[in-house]
Formats: sequence, structure tokens, C-alpha cells
Amino acid sequence: MRYVVRKLVLFLVTLWAAITLNFILPRLMPGSPVDAALAKLASSGLPVTNAERQAIEIQLGVPNTSLPQQYWDYWVAIVHLNFGTSYSFPSETVAQTIGKAAPWTLTLVGVTTVVAFVIGTLLGVYAGWRRGKPADTTVTLGATFFAAFPPFWLGLLLLYLFAFKLPWFPLKGGYFPGETPNLSPPFLGDAVYHSIVPAFTLAITSLSGWVFGMRNNMINTLGEDYVTFAEANGLRSRTVALLYAARNALLPNVTAFGLSLGAVVGGSILVEGVFSYPGLGNLLYIAVSNHDFPLMQALFLVISVSMLVAIFVVDLIYVRLDPRVRQG
Amino acid sequence: MSIVSPVPPPEVPGAAIEIPFGRGSASPGPLLFLGRAFLTLWSNRKARIGLVILGVDVLIAILAPLIAPHSPTATTFAPYQNPNGTNWFGTTGNGQDVFSQMVYGARISLLVGIAAGAAATIIAVTIGLIAGYRPGVIDEGLSFMTNLALVIPGLPLMFILAAYLQSRSVWTIVLVVAFTSWATGARVIRSQASTLRTREFVTSAVFSGERLLAVVFREILPNMTSLVAGSFFSAATAAVMAEASLEFLGLGDPSTVSWGTILYYAEQQNSLLTGQWVLVFAPGLAIALLAVSFTLINFGVDALSNPRLREKS
Amino acid sequence: MRRQARSITLCAAAVVLALVGASCSNTGGNGSSGSGTLTIQGDSGNPTLVENFNPYQGAELHGTYLIYEPLEIPSPIDGSYTEFLATGHKFTDSKTLVYTIRQGVKWSDGKDFTPADVVFSFNLLKKYPALDGHGVWSQVTSVSASGNDVSMSFSNPNVPFAASIAQTPIVPEHLWSGMADPSKDPNTKPVGTGPFTLGAFAPTQYTLKKNATYWQADKIAPAQVDFPAQASNQATNQLDVVSGKFDWAYNFLPDVKATFVDKDSAHNHYWFPPGGTIGLYLNLTKAPYSDVNFRKGLSLSLNRTTIATKAVNGYLDQASMSGLILPNLKKWLDPSLPNQGLVTQDSAGAQAAFAQAGYTTQGGKLMKGGRQATMSIVMPGNFSDWVAAATEVKNELTAIGINATLELPQYPQYSQAIQGGTFDAAIGGFGGSGDPYTDFDLSLNSSFATPVNKPTANNFQRFKDPSVDQALATLASATDDTSKLQATYSLEQVMFTKIPVVLMYYGGSWGLFTTKNWTGWPSASNPYTLPTLYNNSLLTVVTHITKA
Repeated sequence: MRYVVRKLVLFLVTLWAAITLNFILPRLMPGSPVDAALAKLASSGLPVTNAERQAIEIQLGVPNTSLPQQYWDYWVAIVHLNFGTSYSFPSETVAQTIGKAAPWTLTLVGVTTVVAFVIGTLLGVYAGWRRGKPADTTVTLGATFFAAFPPFWLGLLLLYLFAFKLPWFPLKGGYFPGETPNLSPPFLGDAVYHSIVPAFTLAITSLSGWVFGMRNNMINTLGEDYVTFAEANGLRSRTVALLYAARNALLPNVTAFGLSLGAVVGGSILVEGVFSYPGLGNLLYIAVSNHDFPLMQALFLVISVSMLVAIFVVDLIYVRLDPRVRQG
Repeated sequence: MSIVSPVPPPEVPGAAIEIPFGRGSASPGPLLFLGRAFLTLWSNRKARIGLVILGVDVLIAILAPLIAPHSPTATTFAPYQNPNGTNWFGTTGNGQDVFSQMVYGARISLLVGIAAGAAATIIAVTIGLIAGYRPGVIDEGLSFMTNLALVIPGLPLMFILAAYLQSRSVWTIVLVVAFTSWATGARVIRSQASTLRTREFVTSAVFSGERLLAVVFREILPNMTSLVAGSFFSAATAAVMAEASLEFLGLGDPSTVSWGTILYYAEQQNSLLTGQWVLVFAPGLAIALLAVSFTLINFGVDALSNPRLREKS
Repeated sequence: MRRQARSITLCAAAVVLALVGASCSNTGGNGSSGSGTLTIQGDSGNPTLVENFNPYQGAELHGTYLIYEPLEIPSPIDGSYTEFLATGHKFTDSKTLVYTIRQGVKWSDGKDFTPADVVFSFNLLKKYPALDGHGVWSQVTSVSASGNDVSMSFSNPNVPFAASIAQTPIVPEHLWSGMADPSKDPNTKPVGTGPFTLGAFAPTQYTLKKNATYWQADKIAPAQVDFPAQASNQATNQLDVVSGKFDWAYNFLPDVKATFVDKDSAHNHYWFPPGGTIGLYLNLTKAPYSDVNFRKGLSLSLNRTTIATKAVNGYLDQASMSGLILPNLKKWLDPSLPNQGLVTQDSAGAQAAFAQAGYTTQGGKLMKGGRQATMSIVMPGNFSDWVAAATEVKNELTAIGINATLELPQYPQYSQAIQGGTFDAAIGGFGGSGDPYTDFDLSLNSSFATPVNKPTANNFQRFKDPSVDQALATLASATDDTSKLQATYSLEQVMFTKIPVVLMYYGGSWGLFTTKNWTGWPSASNPYTLPTLYNNSLLTVVTHITKA
């Protein structure tokens, strides 16, 4: 219990530090992000109201105000999810923009990651178990190669081949033009159809990390005394692999999995950009290429906080899996 | 994905415990160590492939002026050429020779990969080791820093810094990559170090009166050769990918010639539309091969300190 | 909003879980017959469209141009007027502009359109200055109706400003007078006088239906207009265009003949007329750029044809140094300008001009007082056509011994540099309004030439010349053609001899059409408007096309 409380305190302090960093970052930057943001907003043609100007200044830096005051205003704004108005989407709030995109990313990338983790781990267990055999070589070399593909590059090639040259899949988006997101079977079918190529791209390029990790862990764990002992005691070898070796070998991978799950939100920036997928990654892609600082800051905050939460959750799970760390 | 999602550590707690490579009184000199390390790597089939690919890339980078038939920046050719006798990979929309750009591009990708990988590893090792060996306030403080650096996701942070920063160069990318990629390594090294801390050979060294730094660097660090090397190659791979991603998004320095900028201009000039798929395929494949070579060498590195991973030959 | 977000979560979850059972049918099209539908490449969905049909905010979807009409549309090519809600206009004196309002027009909700609606619309801009994007009330002091006429009083003579007034969209008083805050209202149920009304709106496409009571309904062929959203990814949009999804698209395409026309050479057409001029802006507050002889030397050093080839694939030609876009504005061209103001590369001439500026070539370097001439050229790094042009300029300047470098920052930094006057040289756009006065006024009027570090929106090079200001004032108050021409000629001479901006090549309007379903698109042989999708040209084109 003490461990959990300690982790909770650490989590809260880190949360504070991450949010504070988000406050400091634009204020440290050369030039004047707030001026640039306001200028861009003005150039979009919409009138910049005082409230909007204020909201942007709170996020990016207020001229002629004391830092403590700015910091306080910033926290108030964060708590109210008031991230200002973005240049790219002037007629809605940044929170609304992010809210619309988040579900697409969370599910597409999140589930892709989980699937890649499960398949990759299983393949890794298999490769580790069949170490040195052709099956191992095939799995590891294949995984090595796919891991090295820049995801956006693989996405571009797949888009070119399977959406342009052979028009089997759509070129862009999460659903066909003219549809409004709903839960009807035709819409779900189209959404699935649109997600196949990006999901495949993400899964292929993230699968391999898990394969390596698990394979190496397996090989090491299989060499441990207790495994040898279990084997010597006459347990069937597959039982040894799955029950003893794999469970222990999984521990380090769980840590990595937590980190990666947190990175999901920001992880697919370029892939979503290539496929024009309506998620957070694409949004960040747009924000960064438009220098849409308010949107960029808010997305960055969302991504950072998601990662923090993911790591905290993994810490809690880890303590259940490996009692040794409780004393650490 | 693998750009930001940390690749699982190629090492695990317990791996190096029984093989304290290079430890103790029999510690070999650095040259001998490197030579033996290279031979061990070379004897590993996968690592050998990796070393060959890396060696070829390094040669191409060094000999670029001799290999490249044309200047990589001269805009003297007809634009949108398909591969032909003069322009082996075709030309860009600006009339530049793509093959020459590919050759010169190796320099930037290697430079960014190695420089950023090394910088990230130095930070990771220093912070990870100290945190792992000094429980209490120091560990808490450093782990807090590590956690903070971990929650600041690398690629988005890089994008955002690049968007804010007025002047960008290859070195900016190196610094940003180093600054954002050390945390995973540090976390893994810390947990390994804290496991090792309680092992007998370390405790005995402490009881025999060795100083903290000596214990950390002479007893613990050598046991983590593969972890450190793994950390380097992961960071180097991440750096190569990050450079490509930043350049692709137009956030790099578009006037440098790198594999990333070739991809950027291929996207800007839509080479897939003009049917010049080589302009997309070649730089991506080059990046992938460089990353593959790092990973393959990593397999050998694992075997270097962990004979269990050594191949039967 | 929350309700919608939750349903997205659920269906997206189903997406990944049900990967195997993918349905590959396109259910995007709805029941209406395809033959009567005009498909236009829509707005950029980033990643989804935001519903906004408020014609004044600047955030409106392009379809708004087919829902609301202005009084008249001046051609962006030569400035000639086409009447819409007005049947004509005249200046009764140089400060009074009178429009005759069309009769028998109805709003799409069946109510009558009246001159009172026109007065209301202009007064709305006065009440909400944020909506007054053209700055109508910076020139106009009052608007009043009398019978079928609406008259505007100007504070100063400004005849060319009629173009801005004419294009102001007119909205119905009976609906807008009750609107709480028109400067914020997205106007999602638009009622206009235009040829179309809003049919359906979805996040990635909206559909307009023909307005059966439109006053010139016989000129409108399509029963429906679809606007599928563009992706934020430009390369994808280009692939989309080439796939033949649109009757009309607006996109730069590399090697357009091979990538687009040849896909269906019987139907696919492109027309890339000049829509503006791309020039090398020199900071006139800095030496040596402040020296007209140095500028002349630079101008003569450039091979503009090569620059245009590198930048825009040679789709467009080198620009006339008169400041006019040719051939669009050729009726304004001063016949005394040599070769229509086109300047060709002339090394000897350049050397002579540089010598007059005190520069000589020593060891391949252009030197003055022991120092090599340097020039740093700034442009946004992601404007690839500008970067291509600047790279060629750099190469050509290097060849004559100038130490030229490129700066490729992001757009905001670029914009800061040119607005603040903290640059040596910059690539920038010039003109393109279709009206010489507006083009010259924005680029040359000394009132825009703020001191360095004080941002300005125009005249970035900071050109100041009292005689030019005088000529601009004359042009603003001229109502007869002869005096307009004379004043324009004098400004062209200034552009040509004083070189406030080194104009290089024309920027294009990237019109792509297919005649499979509709014909009558603007083209080189029938250039009735520019093929732009983001302004009133949309309305002009829709009244011209017929069924194929």
C-alpha cells in the first residue's frame, strides 16, 4: 500500500511538472508565439474577440503580466479545458476540435497497438522457444525488417499501391464523404473499410518491437535455474515455456507496453497525416504544419497527460506482477 | 509507431549476471576489448549482415564526392525524369539528380543517427546508473526526471520544438533527438542497476571498500554492455527515423540533402502522381536498411555479453 | 457534441474489432440521379468540415458563394462587371455611387428581396466592423435607399473601390435582423437569393440543391452541387483529382498533361491562367538594395524564363515588369514600354548597371569597397514553388558574383520578417486583384511604408515616392477612361524604371476540369473568369456551364 501511495504522489507531482512544462515551453521560445497565433487567427477573417485573445495569451504567454499571475490563469484555463481558439478551426473551441478527433485515434491506434502487442508477444515467445530453428530466423529477420520501415513511408507506398494504382481502398478519411458518423451497420462497415490500410501500416511497423523484446526475454528466462529445475522435474516443455518462462519474461515487456500505450495518442501523427485520418495525430500534423500554436499546445498537453496516466497504471499493474519491486 | 513507442529493451534483468564480461582483475584493455567485441559481433551471422550494411553506408558517406556522378544540388537536368542512363534514379521536379542526392544523403542520416544515439546514450547511462545505485533521494529525483522526460512524448515534442524554433539545422535535430530519447534507456538501465546492486559481486565490492563511482563503473556498468549498446542502437534508430519524419513534415532544413528531404520533396512534388515511385521508395528503403543494420548489430551485441543469445555455429 | 463524440467512440471501436468483416461498398452517394449533379472539389476538411455559411466571417464554406449573391461581380481578369442583384451602377459624382437594384428577386424562403435588404446588409457591416472584411466603412460614410436605387457616399473620391462594394454579399433583413451576434453566428440555415440552397451537410461533404425560384434559373444547369471535402494532405488531394472524382478542381499538378489530361484526354482539361505575380522583394531601406542601379543590375541578371520553368513547370510565363498581369490586363498596358515590359537576361547591361552602383567584378565576385555584394533571400520553407524559384535566383546571382543565401523559415517567421522590414530580399506575391489601381495602391502607396520594425500589411519593400502617391490619388478619383489610362501608364513606368519589386513570373490559378458531365468551363479561349474555387468565380462559372 505504501508503494501505491508513493506512486500516486509521484504521479501527481509529475502531472504538475508536465503541465507546467507545457506552460513554460512557448514562453521560452524565440519570437513571439502568441503574436504569431493572433496574427494567424486574425488572417483567417474571423474577428478576434477579447475573450479569444485572452485565452490564447493564457496558453502562450501574456505580455506585461507577472509570471505567477500568468501561471495561475493558465491553471484556471486548464481546469476549465479552455485552450483558446485555433487558427485552423476558428469557429469551434480547441477542446471541441480535440474531442471530435480523440475517439478515432484512441480506438484505431489503441486497438492496433494492443493487437500488435499480443501478436508480437506470441510470435516472440514462439521464436524464443524455437531458438536457432528456421522458424526463429524467419520471425526475427522479418520483424527486424518491418520495424525499420518508417511508418509514414510504408503508409505512402501502401496508399499508392492499394488506393491509387489499384483503387481497392479509399485514398483518405475515416468514412465516405457525405456520411455523418453514426452506429448504423453501413457506416460501421465503411469506417472499417477506411481503417484497414492505416491499421495495417501501424500494426506492421509496431509489431516487431514486441517480437524482439519477448524473444530475448524468453531466451534469458529459459536459461534461469528455476526453469531448468522445472524441466528437470519432468514438466512438459510447452508447459514450462508458457507457464514459467513466458510469465516471467513478460514483465519487462509490460513496462514497455505501458509506455507505448501512452505514446499511442501522439504516435500515429504522420501515418494519420498520410491517410488523412480524422484523428488526433492528423490534427497535430495539421497544427504543426500550420503553426497553429494554441491547438498544438493543447494537443501536446493531452498527449503528455495520457502518457503519464498510462505509466501510472502500468506501475500499479507491475507491482502486482512482480512483488519484489514493492521493497524497492 | 516505433519512432515514439519505445522499443522493448533488448536486454533483461538477470541476463548478464553470470557473465560479468570485462569485469574484475582480468579486465582487458580498451583496444583488446573493442577488437574482441568486433570479432564476437562478426562471428554472429545477423550482426555480420548489419556490420556490412553499416560499413557500406559509411563508405558511401565518406566517398560521396567520388561516387555521386553529379552535384546533389545542381538543378541543371530536365525535371520529373524517370530513371535513365544519366540520372540513374531520375530527377526531382527541380531537375536535381536523385542518385547523387541519395549518395550525399547518407552523410546526414549517419551523422544524425550516430551523434544523437551517442548523446542520448551518455545521458541515459549517467542518469540510469546513478539512480539505480543510489536509492533514496537521488534515485527519486532522477527517476522523476526520467519519468518526466518519458511523459513528454518524443516525436510530438520534436515537431513542436521545430515548429517554434526559427532556425533549424541538422544539429538542432541531433540535440532534440538526444534530449528526447534518453529516458527509455535510463529507465531500463536504472532497473537493471538496482537489481544488480543487491547481487553478491556488487555487495562484496562495496564491502571491500570500493568507492561509489568505482563500483558503479567497474562492477555494474560492464554488466550492462549490451544494455548500453542496445540503448545506443535504439536511440540511433530513433534518430534516423526522427530526422526522416521531421524532414518529411517540412520541419527540418529543406536546403540540406538527406534521405528525409528527398522524401519531403518527393511528397511536395508528388512523385507518386508523376509515377516516379523510385523517389519515394529509394530513400525510405535506405533509411530502413540503416535501421535494420543497427538492429542486426544489436543482436550481436546481446550475444556479446549474453552467450545464451549466441548462435550455435 | 458529446453525443456525437460517444457514437464515434463506439463505431471506431467496432472498426478495429471487426477488421475482418469489412464492407467495401460505397454508400456515400445518395439517391438523387448522378447526371444532374455537379461535383466540385470542396473546402479543406481539417480533418472534418465546420458548418459555416456566414458570408462575412471569412470562415464560410465555399458553397456560400452559390447561396448569397453580391450586387455585381467584377472580373478578376479584366475588372469588367457582371450584374447580379444590381442591374448597374454609376458614379453620379466622384464621391457618390448609385446602384440600381434588381426587381422580382425572391429569397429562397419565398420572401421578396428589396433594396432595404441591401441597405441592411451594408449597415450590418457598420454595426459589426469585424464582418467588414473589405473595409467598406473606411471609405463609405452612408448608405441609403430611394426607390430602386441604393446610393453610397464616399468620404474621398475612390472610384476603384466600387469593386469591393459590388462584391459584398447581400443577406435578408427579415432573418438577420433577429440574429443575436452575426459576427459569431455560423448561419447553418442559410437563406439567400442565389442559385442554390443548402441540401445536406455532413462532416466531409455538403450538398446544395437548386433554388427553383432563382431569378435566372434558366441559366443554372445542375440540379445539385456536391462539395466533397479535401484532405489536409495536399499530395492526397492531387491523387484524388487525378482519380477523376471531380467535375471541377483547383490544384497545382506536376506534369499536368501526363498526370491528368492523358488519363482521359477526350474530357480532361486544364487551364492555368495567371492569377498574380511572384517577385523578388528588395528591402529599400537597406543598401545596396536602395540603389535603383543595383536593382536594375539584379533585374537584368535574371533569366526569368528559366525561373518560371523551375518554379511552375513553365505552365506560366515570365512576368511583365510593368506590374500588370498579361494578357489579363493588356488593355491597361502602356504601349511605350519596350517589349510589353518583359525584361530578358542581359549580362552586359547588368554589369553596366552594377558599375553605376559602384560595383565591379573582381575574381568572379561583385565587389564594392573591398566587400562582396551579399543577399539573403527569405521565403516560407514549405512553399516549394517559391523555394524552387529562389534556388534558381540564387544560382544565377552566384554566377554573377553575388554571395546569395536562402533562408527557409516557417510562414509566421517569414511573415514577421517581411511585415517588419527585417529582410534583405524576400520572395512574395504581387497584385492579382484584377484591378491595376488596387494592385499598385497596395504595393506602392507610401502610407503603407512603415518604418522598419513597425509591421505593415503591404508595400513590404517600403517604397516611397510622392509622385506615385499623387498618381494613385488621381487614379482613385478618375471616372473617365483617358485619365485612368494616363495615371496607370505613369505607375507602370515607375514599376519598370524604378523597380520597386523585381517581378519574375506569374503565379497560376490551377483550374482542372472534365467535360464528361458539364461543359462551358472558363478556358484560354473563353476566359470569362479565373478558375478559382474560393471566391465569386464559383457563382460566375455555375451560371455559364451547361450539360455535356
